[in-house]
Amino acid sequence: MISGTLCIIGLSHHTAPVELRERLAFSPGEVADTLLNLKRSQPTVSEAALVSTCNRVEMVAAASDPDLAQAELLSFLAAERKLEQHALRKVHYRLAGRAAVRHLFRVGASLDSMVVGEPQILGQLKAAYAQAVEAGAVGLILHRAFHKTFSVAKLVRKSTAIGAGSVSVSAAAVRLARQIFDSLRDKTVMLLGAGRMAELTARHLTQLGVESLVIANHRLERAAALARDLGGTAVALEHCMPYLKLADVVIGSAAVREPILTPAELHSVMRERLHRPMFLIDLGVPRNFHRGLDELENVFLYDIDDLGRIAAEALSEREQEAHRAELIVEREVDAFCRWLERLELVPAIKAVRSRIDLLRDHEFRRHRAWLATLLPDDRAHVEALVRGVTNKVLHQILSELRQLGQEPDKEVALSIAQRLLGVSVSAPGLPAPQEARRKSGSDPRG
Amino acid sequence: MITVWTLAALLAYVVAAGAFGVGLKSPREQLISWATMALAVGAGLQTVDLLLQALKAGNLPVATFAQSLALLAWITAVVGMVVITRLRLALVGAVVAPAVAIALAAACLMAQNDDRSLPRALRSAWLPVHVTLAFLGQALFVLAAGVSLLYLLKESRLKAKRPLEIPDSRLPSLESLDRINYRLLACGFVLLSLAIVTGALWAAGTWGRFWSWEPVELWSLVLWVLYAALLQSRLAIGVRGRRAARLTIALFAVLLCSYLGVNLLVPGKHGGSFG
Repeated sequence: MISGTLCIIGLSHHTAPVELRERLAFSPGEVADTLLNLKRSQPTVSEAALVSTCNRVEMVAAASDPDLAQAELLSFLAAERKLEQHALRKVHYRLAGRAAVRHLFRVGASLDSMVVGEPQILGQLKAAYAQAVEAGAVGLILHRAFHKTFSVAKLVRKSTAIGAGSVSVSAAAVRLARQIFDSLRDKTVMLLGAGRMAELTARHLTQLGVESLVIANHRLERAAALARDLGGTAVALEHCMPYLKLADVVIGSAAVREPILTPAELHSVMRERLHRPMFLIDLGVPRNFHRGLDELENVFLYDIDDLGRIAAEALSEREQEAHRAELIVEREVDAFCRWLERLELVPAIKAVRSRIDLLRDHEFRRHRAWLATLLPDDRAHVEALVRGVTNKVLHQILSELRQLGQEPDKEVALSIAQRLLGVSVSAPGLPAPQEARRKSGSDPRG
Repeated sequence: MITVWTLAALLAYVVAAGAFGVGLKSPREQLISWATMALAVGAGLQTVDLLLQALKAGNLPVATFAQSLALLAWITAVVGMVVITRLRLALVGAVVAPAVAIALAAACLMAQNDDRSLPRALRSAWLPVHVTLAFLGQALFVLAAGVSLLYLLKESRLKAKRPLEIPDSRLPSLESLDRINYRLLACGFVLLSLAIVTGALWAAGTWGRFWSWEPVELWSLVLWVLYAALLQSRLAIGVRGRRAARLTIALFAVLLCSYLGVNLLVPGKHGGSFG
């Protein structure tokens, strides 16, 4: 059976707390078995995929009766995870048809993510699709739905800046570091004070390849512990000056009453390091670095407010881009739904086509004896003539029928068409019984 | 001599300059790639133009100032395309495209009916070697100034705490821009040195003297000393970043003035008349 509707049941960070999400989550190893299980036990669902990430658990399915399929999926999910159905009832959502298509596209384009624009979700969807394909649970509709989801996500990423910008203070600092320095691998990062946010930023930088780290702190034990953890050198804060000329990135988060560095001090440090650029990140409140340091050439000083403002700007940029992305998604949902609607018409179109073919073949059979008396050339000519007429009539009817699928009151129009042509679409793809019998006979054209 | 090819190339350069100008402010990446394509098309058209002229002249077409200006524009466009594609620095086109458009437009305006051929004394195998070296060096100095402008643009955004105004993908890091600037200067300096040496050798062969204190020779020497000082100061006292960028642009201004001055005001053997 080809026709059907996309439907989704699931829960996400929008609807369910993490305690529930983690009880429902499926590990990658479980997905295939679960889908096989589903196929065995729930015949209403013709195609299915299971998306399980830390923010969402969703079953994406195709079925001809979405209401029934959704109910089945919910009870199946509850049974699989040994939960009471009523525990899920309040926190899950069920979507069908257009709404389901839109949801899938939005998830893929990272518009439904906790951090809008984060790129991981696309990879997770691809993995879910691959698992479902492997389990043999994917048919025409889901194949197309997922492929479309991936291409919409790509389109959104290409034509909007939804993934741009850094939405946290430490991410903004790291982003700036990459604007100043080419490679971070050969750079030295120095921490003045070992606060939580400084540690986070340093961790972020070491992940990007920074290998040389100096940690200076009032309490040497804390510096030593962090140095062991991140791989670096620990020094006491009051002995940090000799190391300063080596540092390309300095993160200040020490608890101090007066700025640690004065412009005059830094100026001589810069001269010693031949004015190679230095990025000062001031995460301390009160601030660790004198504002005047910013005046020095090749010194870039950002305090916590600057970084916060950049993070906020990036976030609002993302929100604007998200609006543009929604428009793209909506356009693609339209296109996909049109395709689905045409798919619904496939049985009707098939029925009409075989009805006309059978009528024609029937006439050929009636005149078989006379046709046999004709010269082969004449016979071919007559057959071509008849076939030409029927094909022209068929073409007219089929193109009108395809048009019908786009119209709002297509149900009424379809039923009229069915009565006029004497075909039934409720038994899709099958011609009326007596003709089916005739068709199974010998080929009348031969 | 102006041909259809010249005008077509000029049109492509003007389109490229316009597209780069608009693309600099617009968030649409597409404009920049169109601009780059227009610049490439312009360079291609001018290649055909110059090849035809070179075949006709039997040597590099540099008999007049207009011709040599057109050749310089072409070399700058080609080197610009190399930098754009090899270093993924499309925005340098925002400097290169208007520069070559203006240079070629000026060449067209000055060319008029000037159809002089090269004096016999200068028809030598030294000519393409010497001129190519000199022009390549100058093209690299144009590009170094362009990269320096981009450096200053990016640096000023970073200093003003408004880094998001230029998308990250548009320009490489400050460190890269600074390094690219240094490399362009170093290569340009080497080429300038070679141009001076080949010029001297050629002069010795033709006129029997290595050096005749012509305006071009004098200014080449001045520029050589200035560029040598700029390169040396980076290594010795760490003149880099903003200061290096400003000095590169300042030196380019000197180069431009001396170029126009010696060619238009006091042409010696190098100038338009090749007296």
